[in-house]
Amino acid sequence: MALRRQSLVLSALLAPVTIFLGIFFLVPLGIIAVYSVLSPGLYGGVEWSFYHWNYGRIFGWADGIEEVFEPVYLKILLRSLGFGALTVILCLMLCYPVAFWVARLPERARLFFLFLVALPFFSSLIVRLYAWLLILKPSGILNETLLALGLIRAPLEILFTPAAVVLGMVYVMVPFMFLPLYAAIDNLDREMVEASMDLGASRRQTFFKVVLPQTLPGIIGGAVIVFIPSVGNFVVPDVLGGAKGLMVGNLVEQQFLSARNWPFGSALSMLIMAVVLVVLLVATARARKAGGQA
Amino acid sequence: MTPRVAQMGLGAFAALFFLFIYAPLLLIVAYSFNSNPVNMMIWDHFTLEWYTGLFGLSERGPEIGDQNRALYLESTDQMLKALRTSLTVAAFTTTIATLVGTATAIALNRFRFRARPFYSGFLLLPMMMPDIVLGIGLLIFFVTIGMNLSMLTIVIGHCTFLISYVFIIVQARIAGIDPALEEASADLGASEWVTLRKVLLPQLAPGILGGALLAFVISMDDLVITYFISGTENTTLPVFIFGMIRRGVKPEINAIATLMILASVIVAGLGLWLRSRKAD
Repeated sequence: MALRRQSLVLSALLAPVTIFLGIFFLVPLGIIAVYSVLSPGLYGGVEWSFYHWNYGRIFGWADGIEEVFEPVYLKILLRSLGFGALTVILCLMLCYPVAFWVARLPERARLFFLFLVALPFFSSLIVRLYAWLLILKPSGILNETLLALGLIRAPLEILFTPAAVVLGMVYVMVPFMFLPLYAAIDNLDREMVEASMDLGASRRQTFFKVVLPQTLPGIIGGAVIVFIPSVGNFVVPDVLGGAKGLMVGNLVEQQFLSARNWPFGSALSMLIMAVVLVVLLVATARARKAGGQA
Repeated sequence: MTPRVAQMGLGAFAALFFLFIYAPLLLIVAYSFNSNPVNMMIWDHFTLEWYTGLFGLSERGPEIGDQNRALYLESTDQMLKALRTSLTVAAFTTTIATLVGTATAIALNRFRFRARPFYSGFLLLPMMMPDIVLGIGLLIFFVTIGMNLSMLTIVIGHCTFLISYVFIIVQARIAGIDPALEEASADLGASEWVTLRKVLLPQLAPGILGGALLAFVISMDDLVITYFISGTENTTLPVFIFGMIRRGVKPEINAIATLMILASVIVAGLGLWLRSRKAD
């Protein structure tokens, strides 16, 4: 009797999330998978026949009749991966030293600076990107300042370049890298660091043999949280990127909202999902391995 | 390099880091008070014109003409409508996501069942899924089943990933609560429902509140998913600003942006205050 009541309560608690995510999360992802192998209809929409040219267009087995192979899609995909990796590296280089600095502050100051890092997370993404639009414009504050100082003769063209995209992504992703890193650095075994130095290891040796391995879980965590939304990003390249900064997210958006080729857009989305899955699997495997060693 | 020099170098680097994070935001705030309508980069003089203009309060001179004025008022109306849509969507989303996320966290932490590991892994997926994939998936889904894009579809879209956020926050809280009190309550003859309501929920309240706050903030800020499933009638504030930026930069954007930064500071402060109270 009591057991049956218990399972009744459990079902009542679990039913909402199961039904909701089943219908509005799993089914849409399934539809993307199905659409990615259907042929595009003449005026948007799809025709229900198996059609692998959507992937062929990207990877090169298009027959030249139904669809034409365009290396540009693969290039954009690789570029997105590259931008994502670069964003991770730059965020890491920015956050690692600062997280160390914050971790050594007295308690009150530490809380204050943690709050300062987290605050941008609460402010609107589009507003933060807009700020960089103002800074990087040809007539923006960066160019005006450099011109006034006589450092440059003509305005630099930074806006609508890949550099602007990576800069914008680093800016919006920094809090996501900082917090996991900080958690790992805060947990660092200080005595082990001191022991390493006392036993004659150089600062460099101590860093690579003691500090880095101990903070690796934070690095991996931050890298995953930054990499995944960066690769599929479409807002940053849309606002700051222009044609040269195009990423796979923009391509997907175009397929859905202007080109109206939903199957091709779905195929591209499947590739983004595949990247996410691989990254998650690799990261979990690494985390498990690191956990096993400790 | 002596340790002291290294320490100073680290401090200087940290100072630059915080400058990097905050200078762009402060720049917007400064520009929002600049009266120069032609080039906002060049300081003219202090004005509140862009703020009063946002709410249709400023008397524009004859120089902009009747037609422009009509256009201007229309865009003000649209912006206020977008703000209302955002608030409505965020209110419904927060309520639903908080209820469902909390129920899920309780189920996963207070019951043992075979599918539990599956659920705890599965619930992370909506958070990790790139928003563009979720956005277009929902778009195709709604079009396929013939559901018109409306505020309801936006709420559904936001809930798909915000349930997971609430779940994570509440789960962290619930894991720290000793189940002994609930066991005592059950031993003394209270039903599951009474135990849940009178013993567990009061202890969980700060976690639930924190989860709800986070859900509200993210819902208010979501751009990508909303962009795909909002349709033409129901624009939210971020989508509206995105559109404005795409059409070209106007001084009013600075004023809206400043107000949004102010709102976020207030919300973040509120969150911090809640946390410090929890510690008492």
